[in-house]
Amino acid sequence: MNSATAALLAWTLISVSSRGHGGGEAWPPHTACSAGGLEVLYQSCDPLQDFGLSIDQCSKHLQSNLNIRFGVILKEDIRELFLDIALVMKGSYVLNFSYPICEEDLPKFSFCGRRKGEQLFYAGPVANLGLDIPEGKYQVLLKLYNENRATVACANATVTCS
Amino acid sequence: MAPRDVGCRFLAVLLLASCEAIASSDRMCTEREVNRTYSCGHLGLSELPDTLPNSTEVLEFSFNFLPVIQNTTFGRLLNLTFLDLTRCQINWIREDTFQSHHQLSTLVLTANPLIFLTERAFSGPKSLRHLSLIQTGITSLEFLPVHNLDNLESLYLGSNRISSIQLPRDFPTEKLQILDFQNNAIHYLSRDETSSLHQATNLSLNLNGNDIRGIEPGAFRSTVFGSLNFGGSLDVSLILRGLQNSTVQSLWLGSFVDTDDQHLSRATLEGLCGMSVHSLSLQKHHFSELSSATFQCFSGLQELDLTATHLAELPAGIETMNSLKKLVLSANKFEDLCQIQAANFPSLTHLHLKGNMKRLHLGVGCLEKLENLRELDLSHNDIEEDCCNQQLQNLSHLQSLNLSYNEPLGLQTEAFKACPRLELLDLAFTHLRVRVPESPFQNLPFLRVLNLSHCLLDLSNQQLLDGLPSLRHLNLQGNHFADGSIPQANPLQTVRTLETLILASCALSSIHQEAFRGLETLSHVDLSHNSLTSTSIEALSHLKGIYLNVATNSISLISPRVLRILSQQSTINLSYNPLDCSCSNIQFLTWCKENMPKLEDTEEMRCATPPSLRGARISDVTVSCGITAVGLFLLIVFLFLLVILFIFATRYFLRWKYQHL
Repeated sequence: MNSATAALLAWTLISVSSRGHGGGEAWPPHTACSAGGLEVLYQSCDPLQDFGLSIDQCSKHLQSNLNIRFGVILKEDIRELFLDIALVMKGSYVLNFSYPICEEDLPKFSFCGRRKGEQLFYAGPVANLGLDIPEGKYQVLLKLYNENRATVACANATVTCS
Repeated sequence: MAPRDVGCRFLAVLLLASCEAIASSDRMCTEREVNRTYSCGHLGLSELPDTLPNSTEVLEFSFNFLPVIQNTTFGRLLNLTFLDLTRCQINWIREDTFQSHHQLSTLVLTANPLIFLTERAFSGPKSLRHLSLIQTGITSLEFLPVHNLDNLESLYLGSNRISSIQLPRDFPTEKLQILDFQNNAIHYLSRDETSSLHQATNLSLNLNGNDIRGIEPGAFRSTVFGSLNFGGSLDVSLILRGLQNSTVQSLWLGSFVDTDDQHLSRATLEGLCGMSVHSLSLQKHHFSELSSATFQCFSGLQELDLTATHLAELPAGIETMNSLKKLVLSANKFEDLCQIQAANFPSLTHLHLKGNMKRLHLGVGCLEKLENLRELDLSHNDIEEDCCNQQLQNLSHLQSLNLSYNEPLGLQTEAFKACPRLELLDLAFTHLRVRVPESPFQNLPFLRVLNLSHCLLDLSNQQLLDGLPSLRHLNLQGNHFADGSIPQANPLQTVRTLETLILASCALSSIHQEAFRGLETLSHVDLSHNSLTSTSIEALSHLKGIYLNVATNSISLISPRVLRILSQQSTINLSYNPLDCSCSNIQFLTWCKENMPKLEDTEEMRCATPPSLRGARISDVTVSCGITAVGLFLLIVFLFLLVILFIFATRYFLRWKYQHL
């Protein structure tokens, strides 16, 4: 066997073993919004699937009750659905926040109660507070999960405000 | 040269293929219950894996690839009772696919692009009881086969494009209990359509997310429903008029953030007078011109849910809700508890007012007219006051009180004297200010469950838990003892009837041997998330057959004495401890092998020492600590040499000594 084929063999072995370690390819980064001095990029951190999100009225003076468009395939029932938000600045956690979206006794949104497997498309308000975003670059981790802590969607977002 | 090169490349490709085959066989189904329950979701499978045993009863097979299913697809799994085929890209279900699956009772076909269902698609199962056809592209109920569905109890048809609830002629409805049409395109309900439902008794009909614009008068005349859901409907009065002369156990008319809410008035709600409703929800609507007349048709109600209806107060003098049993006023804007005008609801047994949007003041005696109140939930309300005798005046029948997630409460001795019949008291995550030596829970003879997790209590107070002769369940999670140690004299000694004790995340590093001495009836002890070593387990030496959780502590070596104590318990969780896997812990390691069924979460019982075994599962470790024959021989030779050396040395020493006399 000549050296070229040996190298090829070695390369195939290495590439297979590194794939075997579950590294996989990351989902591509998407732009959720980019206007008015605000740019929101996000990347799905759910190894099983990507999802789509866009935010209307993008501005560093964030309006209350923003409208978003959101599309995902549900891997779990969402009778109960919770959102965790973590804000990271310069590598340290600044803010952690947990918010119920669907609860058995208070389904806030019309999509609450939908089932595993369904394609969910939501275009509507998110009932947020208004906020002026100070200039800077922020990392935001968003996680949607149900009552069993099973991930429904997960995003690593970068918010740049200039 | 060239052919050889090609040959080598071919070899490389072959090798690659074999490696991938190994990698994919790694992705196997998960066994949830031996020989019975398996989970094969998200594996990209296009057939049943050979590894599944024929005895499988429950199979979760979602997110795989099965464009056509036929009688050979699941043929060998004759015992299937539950089959989940969510989003498997199924287009065709051939005739007699489930012919040999007589036991099958639940079939989930959610999110499959079904092209056609033959009449014999579901033939075979003797009693198919639950069928889900959510988001399968159905436009008409004629799509459903009529045969073999005689035992159907629930039928889920949500997220399709169905515009009429008219079931096919001869569709069996006798046993139907749940009929779910969420998020379809149903705009009108006629008498003809609803007549197909008359045979079903106590049916739950879900029309949530359908924009109902008309109901034919009399469509629901003399129909009895278990529950009816018209969530997100744009016209509440239209729905109520359409439901004239019907009987509904539970009627859900709530709204959502993303649908238009309505201003409910006396006129909107008039239709309620012509029907019989036991339980009504009007979540997230607004009330306009709220007065006692708004509720004129509410007299038959037993339960009313007004969650998030923007209420700042209720009118006084409502006379129609004398017999209301349960009232939910959560997520509103009250400032003072007296604003709910409790005197309107003298029969109330359950009152839920949690997550108020403003800080809630409890006032004095605001609930004193609620003599029959059994359950009161005031959690998540930012309440901050000295509590609770004045606030809960006259609630002498109260059995369950939830004051969790509030601001600091000051409690004095006999703080709950006003409700002596309390059986459950939840104060989790509410900072309690209790002075030493006050006993706030004094005189609660019936209290069985007390949740004091994360209350920042002063546990040096010996009298803290005095006066609880029936307490079974005590949660002290997240409270701290002085110096991280539970001394012999501690407040637990006074609650001798305890069965469940939770001391997780209490920053404990030691427990005195006699700390739990008086607690003879304990059956569940949670000491997880502390820094305890195995000697603390000696405090449990007098207990037998308990569930013991010591996960996430600092246990490494376990002495034979402690092992004896563990042996007498029924279930033990030792996961996430820095366990020692050297020969000094050999007795414990052997014991683990013999007692695996007793141990919980064994996957996470791992070695921390010696370094060579770091991270290895205890169940995988085999340590042999006997002395081998060679070792024994060398030891004997060594000892023999040592003895000779000693004799020589002594002789030399004595000789030297005598020579110098």
